[in-house]
Amino acid sequence: MTTLAPRSYTLEYPYTRTVGPVVGRFLTGLRDGRLFGIRCRGRVICPPIEFDPESGETLAHDFVPVGPGGVVESYSWIAEPTRKHPFQEPFAFALIRLDGADTALAHAVKAPGPEAMSVGMRVRAQYRDERRSAITDVYFVPEAGARDSFVPATGQGEVKISDHLISLVYEEPLNAARERYARGLLAGVFVGQTSPKSGKVFVPSSGYDPLERVLMTESDDVELPNTGTVVGYTVITPVQYYGQKETEPYIRASVLLDGADTPLGQQDIRDIPVAEFRVGMRVRAQFRPPAARNVDELTNRWAGTGSCIERWVPTGEPDVPSDQLKGGMF
Amino acid sequence: MERCAVVGIGQSKYSKRSEDLSIDGLVRVAALRALEDAELTFSDIDAIVIGKAPDALEGVIMPELSLADALGAVGKPIHRVHTAGSVGASTAISACTLVESGMYQRVLTVCYEKQSDGNATWALGGGRSGSQGAGGSFAPWIREYISRSRAPEHIGWQVAVKDRRNALKNPYAHLHLPDISIEKVKESPMLWDPLHFLESCPSSDGAAAMVLTHAEGAKRAPRRPAWVIAHAKRTETIQFPGRDTVKPAAGVECAKALYKKAGITDPRRQIDCAELYVPFSWYEPMWLEGHLLCGEGEGWKLTDSGATELGGDFPVNMSGGVLSSNPIGASGMIRCLEAASQVRGTAGDYQVEGARVALGHAYGGGANYFAMWIVSSEPAPAF
Amino acid sequence: MEDVAIVALAQTPCYRRYTDSEPSLLMGLVNQVLAETGLERREIDFTIAGSCDYLSGMPFAFISNVDAFGAWPPVYESHVEMDGAWALFEGFVRMQLGDIDTCLVAGSGKSSPGRPREIFPLQADPYYHAPLGLDPVSMAGIQAQCLLNTGKASERDFAEVVSRSRRDGQSNPNAQVTADVSPDELLKEPYYASPLRRHDLPPISDGAAVVLLARGPVARALTKSPVWIRGIDHRMESHHPGLRDLTALPGLVTAAKKLGIQSAPIDVAELCVRYSPEEIILCSALGLGRDVRINPSGGPLCGHPVMASGLVRVVEAAQRIARGEARRAIAHAASGAALQQNLLCVLEGGA
Repeated sequence: MTTLAPRSYTLEYPYTRTVGPVVGRFLTGLRDGRLFGIRCRGRVICPPIEFDPESGETLAHDFVPVGPGGVVESYSWIAEPTRKHPFQEPFAFALIRLDGADTALAHAVKAPGPEAMSVGMRVRAQYRDERRSAITDVYFVPEAGARDSFVPATGQGEVKISDHLISLVYEEPLNAARERYARGLLAGVFVGQTSPKSGKVFVPSSGYDPLERVLMTESDDVELPNTGTVVGYTVITPVQYYGQKETEPYIRASVLLDGADTPLGQQDIRDIPVAEFRVGMRVRAQFRPPAARNVDELTNRWAGTGSCIERWVPTGEPDVPSDQLKGGMF
Repeated sequence: MERCAVVGIGQSKYSKRSEDLSIDGLVRVAALRALEDAELTFSDIDAIVIGKAPDALEGVIMPELSLADALGAVGKPIHRVHTAGSVGASTAISACTLVESGMYQRVLTVCYEKQSDGNATWALGGGRSGSQGAGGSFAPWIREYISRSRAPEHIGWQVAVKDRRNALKNPYAHLHLPDISIEKVKESPMLWDPLHFLESCPSSDGAAAMVLTHAEGAKRAPRRPAWVIAHAKRTETIQFPGRDTVKPAAGVECAKALYKKAGITDPRRQIDCAELYVPFSWYEPMWLEGHLLCGEGEGWKLTDSGATELGGDFPVNMSGGVLSSNPIGASGMIRCLEAASQVRGTAGDYQVEGARVALGHAYGGGANYFAMWIVSSEPAPAF
Repeated sequence: MEDVAIVALAQTPCYRRYTDSEPSLLMGLVNQVLAETGLERREIDFTIAGSCDYLSGMPFAFISNVDAFGAWPPVYESHVEMDGAWALFEGFVRMQLGDIDTCLVAGSGKSSPGRPREIFPLQADPYYHAPLGLDPVSMAGIQAQCLLNTGKASERDFAEVVSRSRRDGQSNPNAQVTADVSPDELLKEPYYASPLRRHDLPPISDGAAVVLLARGPVARALTKSPVWIRGIDHRMESHHPGLRDLTALPGLVTAAKKLGIQSAPIDVAELCVRYSPEEIILCSALGLGRDVRINPSGGPLCGHPVMASGLVRVVEAAQRIARGEARRAIAHAASGAALQQNLLCVLEGGA
């Protein structure tokens, strides 16, 4: 039997950062083609910070123009840039003390190769044509190869917000217990595990019994019927946010399968009217045809039932009284 | 064991978006106000403890690193606590422990959240579509509480109104809703049945800070200290067969341990007021019961009777509570510092007259994390 | 000060990819230290753990780690979003109150699902550094170049650290990357983040560590070879590289002085050397001479389970004392790029 493909998922959100007056002045300068430091007890700190690093006192907004040239104090030639770096071809990260500043700025230097870099070399700021009110609006090049790069931007007023899209990719195989649960769903069966110590039945199982701290193996697997009882639900009115696909209210329920001790959470109910839905209701899972079943959405963190279940159908049996359900809630 | 006292309190104005502040700037507002209250500077501080909810809320990993300079922590110990929604109170307790250990004399503790940089519902849903948010997680348990206790539906609306009215007296509160009414709450959109929009906490930016010190330091403090009489934390597994999610055992045991440590035998009478973590209206009666401040099924009656109002015999959330300001990672610390403010007599328009013993509380995760403390105007109050 | 000892400890091997969950990774260790001491779960007074949500890419990931510690019936527990060594710090501080006898400390992390070089720029200043993708490897390169600039170290010194560490790792059953390779061979490799070569970096690892602490009399009752924590301190350096000398660690120097690490001979130092030049910077700050055995385990260069790596240093140092191979040792943990934050722990044997 081949294993299911590793799960890949992206954690992504476009953060919008209010930058405050000091970082804001620096970013405004980048928009306008100027670099600033901030005066602090006779020194000029660049990039500017809001406070005296020694005493913690808040600094007056006494900004000083610095650069556009500067000296490389240290650097590292990055032979294999990551997706997050400012350049996708090899470049250098460097500590650059800009002319007029007493402290170094960490930034990127675009140079033809590592042999073009040295400690003590002079570099000069270059502005990107399209600037986004972010630190990446500028970069540095060896002074000899610098050009007049500044193209006026149209922005007005002080920069107050800087956007930062954070997008991280994760990939891992399903845990063994999760994989067998996923395969069960593809076969139209709920696979759980019975704790060898407490006898409790977990579905889906994390591969251990948290009450007894026992790791479980395939020999603890158990198949469960596709009938159960609603033990909890929420009517979700979708809040809109980045990545949200839901728009209409729907029910999200927990179903305690017959014979299980933990409920199957996060079950979407789309075709039982809210007015009729209730805790204690008896339901049956109606699986999709085998070819339509899919477990791509299942990860180690998010179990669910993928898109294997067409719908949960009321069985018509009498409700289970709520006092018999205490503790089965999700 | 050293005694620990709160000698400085600082808060930022809570708001939808702290427009003119970076994260550094935000935490500094609270930290500097707390230092000013204690008449100390960063150089007087021995150690710093920070807390906040998940790093994904702002997209900044281990922020003690990037905030070290802003908090005067260079050359000093600084550590960061994270226990989900209870983190604000856990952080206060961690900082308190530093003082009680005798290893540190003056500790600055700061909690914050800059929710507007990111999105909490996104983070609560693990960055995926279909997040049910905190309200969606708690709604079924609230329904279960209502069903068990046979509470009338207006209780939730009443708490929502009471806390927002209290918030009108608190200049730092995010929500100031002068025309709040039962009608408005019940007519506001239903978000997660039975929770209406106005029964839910807002999403806020904000920071809160305290300066904690030992008995010697408290003697020298310019203003009246609040003595930390007891603190307790309890955690339980988030999901397991037979778990009572309405009145979690961890909450009950946390309260028992707390009262025992404080020498309190009749919490309802021996504690003068409480700041409870109530992000959704119904959690007021639920925690009154869940933390043994009244009998089972009695919580909603206490709320209904007006006892928990400012001026009632057991005021709850005098500051307006989480329902009026919710910078998530700071919300628990705000409960702790508001309790301290009451016993210091510095709570201004929402001061409970003669408050001598106050409770600060937070919970988090799937109501499986609890952190609580009791503060008093006296170092060893007799009950 | 209350006497506090490590009475049991456990660590997983460093895995390139551990395919089960983080709670599973931890659960075996927790069971192991309980079995070793004969303690029941309910006899543990306090539990504290360190982990990082962003490693597994899931906000609130730490909540499920509680499953491994056993939290039913409810337990007194806390969590730091830091390396487990800082959980040890808070556990040690908590025990100083004198009202609890035992404390379980854990650190765990699975780096394998993500791409650490893309994740950890988010540790850097969110306005000036994170958007540049300024990652710890690049910062280590800059720091190494600063060290070369001082003339106090050479690339050969970096290679010697790697050669010795990877060779020492060969006798460590938990090591992930080991080799018997000479500095000359290493220096033939190309630069990766100059002046660092790939071998100057730690491997990407999954792993966990657990220690059980007990107070004086209880510790003596639980084990014949308690390892006493004589002191623990941690200090922060400036976050802004332009505001610090990257080759000096004044905060760590303060910690070392406060702990009096030089007041008696140090037999072993387990240092959180994530990049080989860090060893030179650390030894200089701590005043460690050639008489001190550095990283006999091979250190993080042989296996670096982020969030446990610092606590593993404590485990390694304590193990040597418990086995009678050392009398007094120091363990070091680090957080952040360019050794921004450092923790130091002094350990001693003896009943």
